[in-house]
Amino acid sequence: MAALAATSSSSLLFFSPPSKLPSTSVCPLPRLCLSTSSSSSSSSSSLSITPSFLAYPTSSRRYSASSFTVRASAAETKKVLIVNTNSGAHAVIGFYFAKELMGSGHEVTILTVGEEGSDKMKKPPFNGFSEIVSAGGKTVWGDPADVGKIVAGATFDVVLDNNGKDLDTVRPVADWAKSTGVKQFLYISSAGIYKPTDEPPHVEGDVVKADAGHVGVEKYIAEIFSSWTIFRPQYMIGSGNNKDCEEWFFDRIVRKRPVPIPGSGMQLTNIAHCRDLSSMLTLAVEKPEAASCNIFNCVSDRAVTLDGMARLCAEAAGLPVEIVHYDPKAVGIDAKKAFPFRNMHFYAEPRAAKDILGWNGTTNLPEDLKERFDEYVKIGRDKKPMQFEIDDKILESLKVPVPV
Amino acid sequence: MSKLVVLQPTKQPSLSLLPSSLSDFNGTKLCQIQYKRKVWQPKGALHVVASSTKKILIMGGTRFIGVFLSRLLVKEGHQVTLFTRGKAPITQQLPGESDSEYSDFKSKILHLKGDRKDFEFVKSSLSAEGFDVVYDINGREADEVEPILDALPNLEQFIYCSSAGVYLKSDLLPHCEIDSVDPKSRHKGKLNTESLLASRGVNWTSLRPVYIYGPLNYNPVEEWFFHRLKAGRPIPIPNSGVQITQLGHVKDLAKAFIQVLGNEKASKQVFNISGEKYVTFDGLARACAKAAGFPEPEIVHYNPKEFDFGKKKAFPFRDQHFFASIEKAKHVLGWKPEFDLVEGLADSYNLDFGRGTFRKEADFSTDDMILGKSLVLQA
Repeated sequence: MAALAATSSSSLLFFSPPSKLPSTSVCPLPRLCLSTSSSSSSSSSSLSITPSFLAYPTSSRRYSASSFTVRASAAETKKVLIVNTNSGAHAVIGFYFAKELMGSGHEVTILTVGEEGSDKMKKPPFNGFSEIVSAGGKTVWGDPADVGKIVAGATFDVVLDNNGKDLDTVRPVADWAKSTGVKQFLYISSAGIYKPTDEPPHVEGDVVKADAGHVGVEKYIAEIFSSWTIFRPQYMIGSGNNKDCEEWFFDRIVRKRPVPIPGSGMQLTNIAHCRDLSSMLTLAVEKPEAASCNIFNCVSDRAVTLDGMARLCAEAAGLPVEIVHYDPKAVGIDAKKAFPFRNMHFYAEPRAAKDILGWNGTTNLPEDLKERFDEYVKIGRDKKPMQFEIDDKILESLKVPVPV
Repeated sequence: MSKLVVLQPTKQPSLSLLPSSLSDFNGTKLCQIQYKRKVWQPKGALHVVASSTKKILIMGGTRFIGVFLSRLLVKEGHQVTLFTRGKAPITQQLPGESDSEYSDFKSKILHLKGDRKDFEFVKSSLSAEGFDVVYDINGREADEVEPILDALPNLEQFIYCSSAGVYLKSDLLPHCEIDSVDPKSRHKGKLNTESLLASRGVNWTSLRPVYIYGPLNYNPVEEWFFHRLKAGRPIPIPNSGVQITQLGHVKDLAKAFIQVLGNEKASKQVFNISGEKYVTFDGLARACAKAAGFPEPEIVHYNPKEFDFGKKKAFPFRDQHFFASIEKAKHVLGWKPEFDLVEGLADSYNLDFGRGTFRKEADFSTDDMILGKSLVLQA
């Protein structure tokens, strides 16, 4: 019987029922419920990328983390390279990950795609890179295909590719990492590759769309690396976000405009705070054996409906909200341009991360959105003049009045 | 997987008479206990009887969950008594259950006849008997549980079948055990019971299922779909059909009830118990068809507000998202569901509806209202 402090009696104290009302919880302890977490040699992570692919670690049992366990590997400093996209929803992941790694004492280099002087670098999170530098991180720019040259021969223990959506883009990075003896290769894939299902949530091991670019990458890195980890995120919020998420709702709410939501508004999605993605990545770096050869949905542990997100944004802003539903096809607009979320259930759960890494989510949308709204106002975005052409088209077709 | 195979509630009452010596409790007075106490030793295993064999009372136990749970408990060697009014047969042979298995079970199960709403009787009869563990499968209100606790001061464990219906409706899902509960919900009796248990210092465990399904289900969950599929009728589903619900197989629930017995990790804990995956309303219609071997059904969506169904229920699920995370039970108890949705529905179909048995006759009157209106609109 393994004498692992983490296993038998470790308690994960977790606060924060994410719900808003004062809890008339049955648990006599207010808001603090003890839950024991036993170690699990979990088979819940049936780790196929495609149905025929099994990369099952046969090694020993996985440990669940306890915040009270001393992690031996934390003492080991790792040299980590983050290859980061220069735009888009995932851009911010590298930023949080870098800061958290450095906070834990690791050495970080971020290689951002493109040029340091480009316009893209004027947007968040890149315009916040001084934080990285002042924490001791290195920032370099270039084409990931030239990664070896760009890092000038430096070697790394861990590489995260937070850039490529297809094999052509990731292969040079992966090949270089392999040839220079990188011990652990991490890849930001996407939960968007799961095949739609009647039975949510998407769970690691579920069937993915074989033709998705990310799938090609996942297969390749699983073939060439002995220690690989794949992360499949959905949406995220957090300071430094490169792509609008909650802002889309705030824009309309503060201007007292109706919020047009396609379909029924009951579609579930998953919106995590960046710190949750970052903590999962960091845990994988600090528990490489546990993380090895695993896929993790990199999402929060709660889903929210589209209508629900609108409501929560309004509550965070302390303002009312008027939600209007529409059929994108009937209106004849480009659904993607009209609305920042998928018009369907898009809902993954982070079961493998909890089972295998002992990860816990801290995203608390009601609270986190308040912080986001404060920043939204602080930067003056609530006063910024804006056009809502597509909204207007939708509302006109529904004959919904808009305040002038 | 399916050792426990289902009961066929045939129209004639089956022979469920217990040897009269086992039914000595009647509704009003204490009688001398005359039944034989058979302690069954598992074959080949070395058991210390005192710690492994328990004297267990199940409140209820003759309809659905208890039918499976009681068999598991008896197989484990416990002495099991069912407390019921005796309106339903105490035991019935399940389809697929061999004669010898059934008679073995029947010979071991005990019955305590009474009305649990007669609190004085409950207290006196239980106190006279003394039980180690109580499973409360059919309790709805806290006052029903008080006399049980009063009667059994040395109770080792009170295991309660609560409901995920206690959770406060939320935009954030799934429901987890730490989430807020709704003191105004239809299931507030369950909540009050949980609170009572917590306040009394007894070692309690509470399981919160979502929608339970499986052979013998008396709530027309899968049966509702099967009736329509068999009749070749469209399936009317309210609103968008993307509402997400969750079904948990009764046999998996019974296993969870077993796994919390005598389990320290379950002490004073609540666990959601249901299936691994959730399902949309539309998806459930398709899953039922797949499980039962029917072609993919025609689904008709409608706005329930446009109809007055009176007292009738046009659809067996609450018209909202309703599902709960089972991760706590998986992590803490090491329990996990054996049945996935289609498998579980097939199990239910093969052992129940597919054999010609069901609890409620088909009633398509609300369907016809809905379909009639949509035909008119198309005309």
